[in-house]
Amino acid sequence: MSPEGIAARLPGRRGPGGASAAPGSTGFWSDARVERILGAVACLVLAVIVGMIVFVFSKAWPSFAANGLAWFGSGGDVDLQLEDIFNSPANPADYVYHLRAWPLLWGTFVVTAGAVLVGIVFSLFAAIFIVEFAPPRLNRVLEPVVRLLAAVPSVVYGLIGILVIVPWVGEHLIGLERRESVANVVQLDGSSVVVGILILTVMIVPIMIAIVVDALRAVPRSWTEGAAALGVNRWRVTWTIAVRTARPAIVAAAVLATARALGEAIMLSMVAGSASFAPNPIDGITFLFEPTRPLASALVENVEGLSVTPFGETLFAFAAVLLVSSMFLSLAGFVAKQPMRRYGVRP
Amino acid sequence: MTRSRSLAIALVAALVAATAPAATAATITMSGSTSIAPLATKLAKAFVKQPQYKGKVKFVILQGGSDIGITDVSRGRVTLGMSSRDPKAADPGGIVFNKIARDAVCVVSNPSNKIPSLSQTQVQDIFSGRVRSWSQVPGATASGPIDLVVRTAASGTQDAFQNIFMGQTLRVAGSATTKSSNGLQAQTIKSDPNAIGYASFHFTAGLHSIPYQGVPCTLRNAKSGQYAGSRNFYLVSRGTATGVAKAFINFARSNPTALSLIASNWVPLR
Repeated sequence: MSPEGIAARLPGRRGPGGASAAPGSTGFWSDARVERILGAVACLVLAVIVGMIVFVFSKAWPSFAANGLAWFGSGGDVDLQLEDIFNSPANPADYVYHLRAWPLLWGTFVVTAGAVLVGIVFSLFAAIFIVEFAPPRLNRVLEPVVRLLAAVPSVVYGLIGILVIVPWVGEHLIGLERRESVANVVQLDGSSVVVGILILTVMIVPIMIAIVVDALRAVPRSWTEGAAALGVNRWRVTWTIAVRTARPAIVAAAVLATARALGEAIMLSMVAGSASFAPNPIDGITFLFEPTRPLASALVENVEGLSVTPFGETLFAFAAVLLVSSMFLSLAGFVAKQPMRRYGVRP
Repeated sequence: MTRSRSLAIALVAALVAATAPAATAATITMSGSTSIAPLATKLAKAFVKQPQYKGKVKFVILQGGSDIGITDVSRGRVTLGMSSRDPKAADPGGIVFNKIARDAVCVVSNPSNKIPSLSQTQVQDIFSGRVRSWSQVPGATASGPIDLVVRTAASGTQDAFQNIFMGQTLRVAGSATTKSSNGLQAQTIKSDPNAIGYASFHFTAGLHSIPYQGVPCTLRNAKSGQYAGSRNFYLVSRGTATGVAKAFINFARSNPTALSLIASNWVPLR
């Protein structure tokens, strides 16, 4: 039904802002005016998003245009390339743009994927415990604490990481032999992939638990009771019915967590990002102790040089990649949820 | 650094509110080097207390790195840019670098690793990655690989280190750990016994400053000119400085109050 249709049926309506005492039109805040104002606000949000995308891409274009698809490839040292870009001559014709951003992209992927995979397992089991097994008294403490944890600012985690965890890992987990084995390529000082994944997991798990708990609670009672009536035990009921039904919510939780992990800059810059290095899985355990610098961290660490034109454009290229990946992420989450919808509850 | 910028804005806004209520006051805006900002803030506080300028001058001090200061002043966005690096051939035309002080850049290591001295060649070997183990450095008490802890490209201290210690051709090894701020860099060196890095004298508390070419990195040695690792601090103006900006530069260069302020952590010109 069109809005006009609704408006026509409301009694006593005299048009926008009409001074009438009748119900449905209360002075300045008449329905028609409110509708237009709210519509304008909603459109404004859209306009801001579109404007932002256009702005970021127009700023980033010179960096992509100069490198082509090789922008996403590997080759050379990203930190040195950024230094050359920063020290470009003043003449626009001589600007340096050469960049091979693969180590940053790979670092983003490794840390995000690691944290989200560990996070899904953790949050799923924690949520099942909260919903199905935890005694109510424990739940009254557990749930508010989980929600509180979700609100801790990332820089706090970063401080704990750099003051406690990074030095500890550097001193106790990385032996001299391991340091020397890669000393010519990269320094192992404790700020590493594994610390990044660990703290990022702690950061994203609370919000994932909250979403999965809500979804498990929304599973129709009759379904689980039906299964229980057939003599199935609680664990199997939960696993085969509740978790199966809640799968769209688990996907939603993963998407949300991935989005947060992708954009996490400060904490990762403090605990993982001591070098623009692509950690190599072939190195075995050492891989976990190698440092890496995700895109968002590289952006925030170099923002000092924003006023140098080619350097600024390179930073905007980082921003553009982050923007596109988060858009693809929402899309992928939407597509992944489609076949699961028939199982019932929606997140 | 946006955070330090807004912090500086808040600080200076408070300073302005406290010292200059007059609406007709002339305003000096500055932006640029994070290494100079602490000094510039102190000088500005002293300047507005001078009897002839009391209530007549306001300061707004932003940070952002030397190159930001130089770009800002060349475009007329600020009155004075702060630069902790020397003029480059590629700098925009029409700007004047006014030297106001000197600063010592120290090579620093973990306090447990009290290296007696390093020559320029040794510094270059260590930082370029030719020497990678502490066992190859005479006098070092640490053992195992050397961990280089340096600053990101946009840092003025990085630029100064490159020019003073490394020269035009050598570069810091790609394996080095790069940190985005003085604080993170110092923290990393403090917690890693194998670390070596560099810092402006102002930021060396809690670290071991390694004597360079046999000369300890102290203010006294930097003042006397014996310590070779020092750099210049500039206030950059668009054309020759005029009015209160000129007065402020002269104040920083020759006023006794300003000179003693500078001498607390930096090296005055006279």
